[in-house]
Amino acid sequence: MSEKNREGKRSAREKMLEARASDETRAKRNKKLGVIGGVAAVIAVAVVVGVVVQNQRSKPETPVAAPVGAVADKNLVIPSGPANAPSVLTVYEDPRCPACGAFERQLSPTVDQLEDQGKLYVNYHLVSFIDRSLSGKGSKYGANALACAQDAGHFRDYHDVLYRNQPEETSDSFGNNATLLSLAKQVNGLDSPTFESCVNDNRYGGWVSSVQQDFDKSGYKSTPTVLLNGKPIYPKNGEEQISPENLVKWVDAANQGKPLGTTGPGKESPAPSSTAAESNTPPSP
Amino acid sequence: MASQQMAEPHAGPALRRAVEGSTAQWFGLAVRIALVVVWGWAGLAKISDPAEAAQAVRAYEILPESLVKPIGYGLPFLELALALLLLIGLGVRIVAVISALLLFTFVAGIGSAWARGISIDCGCFGGGGAVDASKTEYLQEILRDCGFLLLVSWLVFRPHTRLSADAWLAA
Repeated sequence: MSEKNREGKRSAREKMLEARASDETRAKRNKKLGVIGGVAAVIAVAVVVGVVVQNQRSKPETPVAAPVGAVADKNLVIPSGPANAPSVLTVYEDPRCPACGAFERQLSPTVDQLEDQGKLYVNYHLVSFIDRSLSGKGSKYGANALACAQDAGHFRDYHDVLYRNQPEETSDSFGNNATLLSLAKQVNGLDSPTFESCVNDNRYGGWVSSVQQDFDKSGYKSTPTVLLNGKPIYPKNGEEQISPENLVKWVDAANQGKPLGTTGPGKESPAPSSTAAESNTPPSP
Repeated sequence: MASQQMAEPHAGPALRRAVEGSTAQWFGLAVRIALVVVWGWAGLAKISDPAEAAQAVRAYEILPESLVKPIGYGLPFLELALALLLLIGLGVRIVAVISALLLFTFVAGIGSAWARGISIDCGCFGGGGAVDASKTEYLQEILRDCGFLLLVSWLVFRPHTRLSADAWLAA
């Protein structure tokens, strides 16, 4: 074998090895690109499908069904008292929120009284965000039951009854419709097959979710948020603590020189009867 | 040159076996499964209520309103996609890198909320939104994410794991 021949053989083998090596690198790189492509595809598909599906699921921000007589933009607000009263009290509250319970137990008789005197128009926003942090359904089902009571014309009484019988924040007894229905028996004329099916079917679930989304965007972060003619008065109005006496004083001051709203039987649900008397404030006349 | 070649095996075998051997690949599998649980749980918990997921994002007060919903709706599915990819072991290194970037973003967001003095729940595993100032848990949330980052960084540096699509493709 000549020297030349040997050299030629070696270089041929080297060339072949080189070619094989570069083939291997190419194959490796292609595999790598394939994996990266696969990963990117899985992520892209998941995210796009997710956004579309979730968008679809949360679609009706304007709820299909709102309770009878709901007012304001998209009918998200439950009104109580005479609409032409000179002062407006805006209340954001969650059925499970303990501070809301305390607020209601202290002030609902006064608020009801101010409504009945034609001094105050109340706008309730039925917030349901405690279910998120503590998990459960009590805020949502409670709000739905309140919307059902609005349909039946007994919102105010049922609202007062619910807050007076509020469970511990961590106990989700309002998440059980049976509890909500049994409390409804305390309000004369509320319990009916229509009301029961409305509660059991969670008829205003979509509306409740829209009310909550509206609260999410409001910038208010806690409940109760209470505004008198747009100005926050809970827990304090300026330097003064909220109390039945102060609320009456503030409303009277705001109403000075303005005509009272129309009150009359049949227009609103009547003032709470027996159950209202249990409350600790104010000394009844 | 010769001395170097001598030195390496001396320092190496035990350590090398620990980080590259089959034990390490089984450990890598365990890390993958742990992260599947983390991402899977985080993703699923955010899916049931889209409005809640959006509010959790909004509460950070970082993103403009136009991005709140896309992020709130899409993030849980990104997390689930990462869980799926880790489960089958496809592109472990790149998935680990994406996971690390995501975790860094979360830590930065939580740190930012903490620094600005706003009171929110991180919404890491569902929930989220404003909470009472006494109920914030920023330190715990950040430490937890740092723990996840440690797991993720193992996979960034040791992406070869047992029972993975990567290993199957390489064979």
